[in-house]
Amino acid sequence: MNITLEKVDPYRWLIPKNGAMRVPGLIFSSDRLMTHIEKDPCLKQVANVATLPGIIGHSLAMPDIHWGYGFPIGGVAAFDLNEGIVSPGGVGYDINCGCRLMTTRLKADEIRPIIKELVYALFKDIPTGVGSTGTLHLSKSKLKDVAVQGAAWAVKQGYGTAPDLEKTEDRGVITGADPSVLSERAIKRGLNQLGTLGSGNHFLEIQKVDRIYDPETAACFNLFEGQITLFIHTGSRGFGHQICDDFLKEMNRKMATGHQPFSLPDRQLACASLKSDLARRYLSAMACAANYAWANRQVLMHWTREILLRTLSINPDTLGMNLLYDVCHNIAKEESHEVDGKPVNLCVHRKGATRALPPGHPLLPGIYRSAGQPVLIPGDMGTCSYVLAGAEDAMKQSFGSCCHGAGRALSRTQALKKAKGRAIHRELEDIGVFVQSRGKRTLKEEMPQAYKNISQVVEVVHKAGLARKVARLRPMGVIKG
Amino acid sequence: MVLTTHTFEIIDHTADLGIAVAGTSLKELFQNASHAMMRIMVEQVPVETGEATQISVQGSDLPDLMVRWLGEILYIFQGENRLVTQAEINRITPKHLDARIRTIPLSPENHEILTEIKAVTYHQIEVIRNGRLWKARIIFDL
Repeated sequence: MNITLEKVDPYRWLIPKNGAMRVPGLIFSSDRLMTHIEKDPCLKQVANVATLPGIIGHSLAMPDIHWGYGFPIGGVAAFDLNEGIVSPGGVGYDINCGCRLMTTRLKADEIRPIIKELVYALFKDIPTGVGSTGTLHLSKSKLKDVAVQGAAWAVKQGYGTAPDLEKTEDRGVITGADPSVLSERAIKRGLNQLGTLGSGNHFLEIQKVDRIYDPETAACFNLFEGQITLFIHTGSRGFGHQICDDFLKEMNRKMATGHQPFSLPDRQLACASLKSDLARRYLSAMACAANYAWANRQVLMHWTREILLRTLSINPDTLGMNLLYDVCHNIAKEESHEVDGKPVNLCVHRKGATRALPPGHPLLPGIYRSAGQPVLIPGDMGTCSYVLAGAEDAMKQSFGSCCHGAGRALSRTQALKKAKGRAIHRELEDIGVFVQSRGKRTLKEEMPQAYKNISQVVEVVHKAGLARKVARLRPMGVIKG
Repeated sequence: MVLTTHTFEIIDHTADLGIAVAGTSLKELFQNASHAMMRIMVEQVPVETGEATQISVQGSDLPDLMVRWLGEILYIFQGENRLVTQAEINRITPKHLDARIRTIPLSPENHEILTEIKAVTYHQIEVIRNGRLWKARIIFDL
């Protein structure tokens, strides 16, 4: 299939329907970011996704798009519930990888002198690293409760409080989770990883709000300049990875035995008709993993609060830590969207993309109804992250979606080469960022240069009308696996 | 770099990682693939020690068999916290293999983890015969 691009306006490019594509591709980008994207095979993946049955509108790509497996990372695709499919590759192995942002009453100036002490304390007590297990060991029966109840399970155990659920996407639970469809392997992997951060690009960051773009929305989100915030980025750990793997294999097997009436340009696009039992089982299992991830972030937030209270020797009122919002960026959900002027339920896949509901949307909690949904965009540890708010055009253009982060610019091999002979931790300390990481190569693989410029990515979604900039956050202290 | 049966090549990938491996036979190819994957994940895997166990894997074709074979090795590492120090394929057909593997418990003090592999993917999977050599390409999700 030949990929041709047509520039629609400064922030939109179209891949016209061609060959087996059922819909066009639509890429949100800028001239500058396109110079990277055009060299990356992700555009072919956008076109491949457009060949899937029942796809509605466009095969979408956010400005942080890069090559993934099957679906590109930064891809969004919505499918008709009768004619369409669900694909585990359109969600990703790390089901409900996502993030949450917590606000505090603390100011950066008062924390700066003791940032190392805080980072050491967090690094000591928050489980991080490859295959890390935590201090929470679940029985099979408790794991099943987590899988069904999500963040609410964690609240019931005393990790945080009920108001946290209101500020979590979908209240921290997808209904319909069915642990009976899980493999023994998935269950085994979920027993000891609740309350762990993981490794790679997962992190816990202490940040400073260094710029406010939209004062009114910032006030609604309880953000102020110079404020200390905390950002957690992690997902469903080995539990989610195993679930994705199990169902990709089952769908591949079904496709290999000729059970699907259509062919796939890429095996990793293995999928099942949304009307099939296999799709039902995958979505139930995916819900289990999504709920586990929300419980995970709820537990980690609680422990972060406790560590700060202990280390700073202050009371909860002085700390004033509250959840701003929690978003997922690897998920497939049934959502109502307008198609040809009528509301229709669709299965929306977001793989490395974030939901961005506009002001007035009924799914928003009351406190955010006038502002729009908080959208959290983590950047790399050397530059910044952003808080955005969902904008009206997101519903019209991208099924209420926007970007999820900076996206990698360098492979890990390239990053290691560029970082050879350099002390990344010292370079970061020189710019005021104190990092502790567990893996030998983590800092080099995850160094700032390995990522695209997050500000350029966010500028695209802002100018394209998908989400509005609210605040910029600068890292001060980071822990990584 | 010329791919030989004693080496493996890293395939550069923006977000993930791939390997290219070779073997003079299918048995050797599959053995080399599992050793290459272990060497990506762990620094200095001890050779040929540990508890022996038999495993069997089924697939719909050779590429599927490779993904499932490496998936088994990965599960032993990620799910059971054991390192595969040796893999010997006893019997292999395009849809089935029997292997004897040796494993030791993973010990954070002795075994440095280099890379976390989340999964073995089907992305650009290839298992082909090229002249005298069997070759494979496998992309891992990190």
